[in-house]
Amino acid sequence: MDGFVAWLEATALSRAVVGHGWVWPLCETIHFIGLSLVLGIAGFFDLRLIGFLKRVPLAAIRDLMPIAVVGFVLNLVTGLAFFIGMPHQYVRNVAWWAKVCCLLLAGLNALLFETLLGATRSLGAGDDTPLSAKVIGAVSLASWLGVLYFGRMLPFLGNAF
Amino acid sequence: MGVTDWLEASALGVWTRESPSIWAYPTILTLHTIGLGMLAGANAVVDFRLLAFAPRLPLSSLLPLYRFMWSGLAINVVTGVVLFVAEATSKARQPVFFVKLTVIALALATTVKIRSSLLQDPAIEHSGTIPRRARQLALLSLLLWTAAITAGRLMAYLR
Repeated sequence: MDGFVAWLEATALSRAVVGHGWVWPLCETIHFIGLSLVLGIAGFFDLRLIGFLKRVPLAAIRDLMPIAVVGFVLNLVTGLAFFIGMPHQYVRNVAWWAKVCCLLLAGLNALLFETLLGATRSLGAGDDTPLSAKVIGAVSLASWLGVLYFGRMLPFLGNAF
Repeated sequence: MGVTDWLEASALGVWTRESPSIWAYPTILTLHTIGLGMLAGANAVVDFRLLAFAPRLPLSSLLPLYRFMWSGLAINVVTGVVLFVAEATSKARQPVFFVKLTVIALALATTVKIRSSLLQDPAIEHSGTIPRRARQLALLSLLLWTAAITAGRLMAYLR
């Protein structure tokens, strides 16, 4: 692990991230904008799955998913920039590993939804969701909030600043 | 001793700033981020709808989202006041802090305007086309909330 960290920190990309004072604040700002898009749109979909906002047709929310994906990609790219810039802050940080676990859980959960609950996607206004969809919605919302929580806690539960 | 010194020396200020407890500064800061996600995120849903990204989404069905926006706002007013009290003297000297407050005031005014004049307009709901004024307000809302997040984030970097 130490060898990997040392190798990564010696790369030109890593030096570019930490070598310019404006790169980190810019990435942080983009990371928070992406966070809002993901939480706003995925959270909206999850709340509808759980049983809130029943007048919203589920299929119609899915039209917004590309924007949530844009938010996620923004955060993946800026998150990788943080990791490449200062890997030593993350590889032994318990909050970072918890964040990665929450991300994997959110991803697997979404995959489960797409493979098992395809029919739910076409539910219209007023339709109730099956219990399985409510569980998947709750797991999704909890895992995205977990990603946010452990991300924000990186400096406090671990050693990142 | 000025008001900001007094705030910073208050029991709340000292506890927030100096307590080693995870429930002090770290949790208040995390709640501030969750509130931001609720407020700006739910706003983005309405704005992108008005920009015609999800035309099948009935506008009036989005009204309950405002409960989440106002909850996020309430969380952030409370946590924001506490975060200010903890470091009142330095924050009161940061120009970007006043930029942030101004931008939030403008963003909130835009959000309220969209809620009151567009979401319950049957002409927009049923015509299928979104008037230019609605699209402009939605774009303004997106830009202002993005600017609010940017100013907030830059408070950690610009002194």
